[in-house]
Amino acid sequence: MLSRIADSMFWLARYFERAEDTARILDVTYHTLLEQAEHPYRLRWEPLIAMAGEENRFRQLYGEANAHNVFEFLAFNPDNPSSIVQCITKARENARTMRDRISREMWEDINGFYFVVTRFNAAEEIAAGPHRFCEKIKFGSHRFHGVTDATLPHDDGWEFLRIGWSLERAEMTARLVDVQYHDLLDPNGTTAAPGNHQWMAVLKSVGAYEAYHRQYHSSIEPELVAEMLILNHQHPRSIRFSIQEVQAGLRAISGTGPGAYANEAERLAGKVLERLRYDTVGEIFKQGLHKYLRELSRMSAAIGEDIARTYFYYEVVA
Amino acid sequence: MSAAQAQIVRRGLFEGYDTGSFYDEMFSAPNQPRPHYAKIFQKLAALAPAQFEERRKLADLSFFLQGITFTVYSDGRGTERLFPFDLIPRILPNSEWQKIDAGLSQRVVALNLFLQDIYGKQCILKDRQIPTSLVYSCKHFHREMIGVEVPRGIYTHICGIDLVRDSKSGEFYVLEDNVRTPSGISYVLENRLVMTRTFPDAFEAHEVQPVNHYPAELCRILRSLSPRGAEAQIVLLTPGIYNSAYFEHSFLAQQMGVELVEGRDLVVDGGVVFMKTIRGLKQVDVIYRRVDDEFLDSLCFRSDSLLGVPGLVAAYRAGNVALANAIGNGVADDKAIYAYVPAFIKYYLGEEPILNTVKTYLCHKPDECKYVLEHLEELVVKDVGESGGYGMLIGPASDRARIEEFRQRIRANPRTYIAQPVIPLSRVPSYDATTGRVVGCHVDLRPYCLYDGEKVTIVPGGLTRVALQYGSLVVNSSQGGGSKDTWVLRGEN
Repeated sequence: MLSRIADSMFWLARYFERAEDTARILDVTYHTLLEQAEHPYRLRWEPLIAMAGEENRFRQLYGEANAHNVFEFLAFNPDNPSSIVQCITKARENARTMRDRISREMWEDINGFYFVVTRFNAAEEIAAGPHRFCEKIKFGSHRFHGVTDATLPHDDGWEFLRIGWSLERAEMTARLVDVQYHDLLDPNGTTAAPGNHQWMAVLKSVGAYEAYHRQYHSSIEPELVAEMLILNHQHPRSIRFSIQEVQAGLRAISGTGPGAYANEAERLAGKVLERLRYDTVGEIFKQGLHKYLRELSRMSAAIGEDIARTYFYYEVVA
Repeated sequence: MSAAQAQIVRRGLFEGYDTGSFYDEMFSAPNQPRPHYAKIFQKLAALAPAQFEERRKLADLSFFLQGITFTVYSDGRGTERLFPFDLIPRILPNSEWQKIDAGLSQRVVALNLFLQDIYGKQCILKDRQIPTSLVYSCKHFHREMIGVEVPRGIYTHICGIDLVRDSKSGEFYVLEDNVRTPSGISYVLENRLVMTRTFPDAFEAHEVQPVNHYPAELCRILRSLSPRGAEAQIVLLTPGIYNSAYFEHSFLAQQMGVELVEGRDLVVDGGVVFMKTIRGLKQVDVIYRRVDDEFLDSLCFRSDSLLGVPGLVAAYRAGNVALANAIGNGVADDKAIYAYVPAFIKYYLGEEPILNTVKTYLCHKPDECKYVLEHLEELVVKDVGESGGYGMLIGPASDRARIEEFRQRIRANPRTYIAQPVIPLSRVPSYDATTGRVVGCHVDLRPYCLYDGEKVTIVPGGLTRVALQYGSLVVNSSQGGGSKDTWVLRGEN
């Protein structure tokens, strides 16, 4: 497989995942805010901007955050490189450079979705609220996964897709948990009153609300929510599950067995995964959740860079 | 036609259809379809315009979803447009096609022999069949190719020869040979696919010759060129997604199952071409390149080109990689050389040309130039090195200032120009969405010829391009043209 194609596969999947994750968070936060009219200060809009890592750009464009401009910025704004429409545009651009390699069904699906997404009337959607829009993005992303899984040979190309969306998901979940907890924990480290809606919002945004109840049979406890999102080995949106997927993809490409690694990306993925396997949520909170998640984000970014160095942009001596 | 049929026609798509003073591919006289069009005419005439419109929208949607678009750069961002597709097919009976097929095959073989000769022994120059100065002054003649032994002696692997039917004689004429990197075959294949999906009933009454063996045949020829024999790594070299023919590049790569590469994916090491894969460098044997000669290798041609591969020409000359088409074919595309193709056919093959060529005035010949300058208002003037409808003067359609501009240009550089009489192109009924009726629109025909060194294979039909702007004679996609599915019947009707 050409290095350039592998690179495009990786980013096609990442951009789709970023669009979906952004849509999930936007949707849930918005609706939680509606229910929490008496505590508007609790779940503010800023964390969403922080999650996208675009605080400076946002402030330059809008100043103060409110429901409308946050939606506009995260969903449509062409100057926000991580806006949903921009992500889908870039995903499609990547697909276009390798449409001979992806299945015809994938291309038609991605291309059709691109035309749907880029033809939304932003003003109309903003007036209608984000739910309708975010649902379409979520389903678009799920369809992408389904069509891909069902029509693309599960070869190296598929592995790069899997690594792409898994790595993106790990990073997005880490940011989500970090930003939300940072905001929800008050300065002296104790959590806000139990049973509040914010924790539910966090769970719902990653589609883990029902799974949480099945797993813990308890009311919403912040530490358990964190455990679910960081350490659960079965929930497809937890960080541990995502890194497992990254490792499986990397091993499938290099043919490396358990207990060994063929390159720096595999070494780091293995190292991160070992921690996620054996750390407990108590230990994590003891050393500081924020610090722990920051470290996970940093490692995920490093894995991405090492994948690029190993497979996409290695030096050619000619 | 019965009275009842005539009644239907009066109310349907063909209401008020006028064949004008042109050769109409469908009708021999008003309301009198030619035998090979009789069945499809019945079907179309019986359709209500609304039913037709519905199918047209379905076809458009299908093209859109597949991203069969070309990019227009007018607002800086680039917008994607559909290459308009007209649902009414262009039909040729088998006997007519047989003659075209024989004529094109003859021409392709002669052009290949010419290129072999020009870059080899140059017998045709020594025998004074064509002036040496004319050949050497061609913009796309590449001295670098002299003495290079190309794999299996093939230069013209793929030709897209443009034909037009003259309304006066009803006969086909060759307009251009396009032996460099002709595009459009993907539309032939996609048009057929969309047509069978949206108009399945149209095929019921006819036996239409299939076209979808093209990619397999092309792949077979590419494979046969490999310097390493059966172990052929074939790639298709594209300038990238911003090229207007990018869809076709990816389409062909996918259909043939070969790697689609850009210049940056390739590297030359020790005179061998490699591509960069996730498992290191992999040797490349055959390159179907859709990048022009001038951009192929910054060490040999344009040094500012980022589309090619530095060192590629040296690898080609060393015989370590095969290119299709060969470098330097542009000399045969020169519009002044065109005038000599009938002479090549006689010289190399000892045969009479089967297909007509258009009378061509060569401006570098003083007497012919004099005639051209005196008759600019009625001639088409073309730049010999251009293609795609650029650098053209259509005398009868131009104002005085434009004609004067060309007069100056021809005087300054007579070798750069040729002139031809205007050919009134034949027309095919085509749907006009604004009125919901059909009108006659001018068409040409570009069949795609594949040459394996022994025989020429031509997919029956080819691309029928249609000037959908009523009255327009320009069929290029960049100038508002569209296309039609082209049917060659197994029999006569």
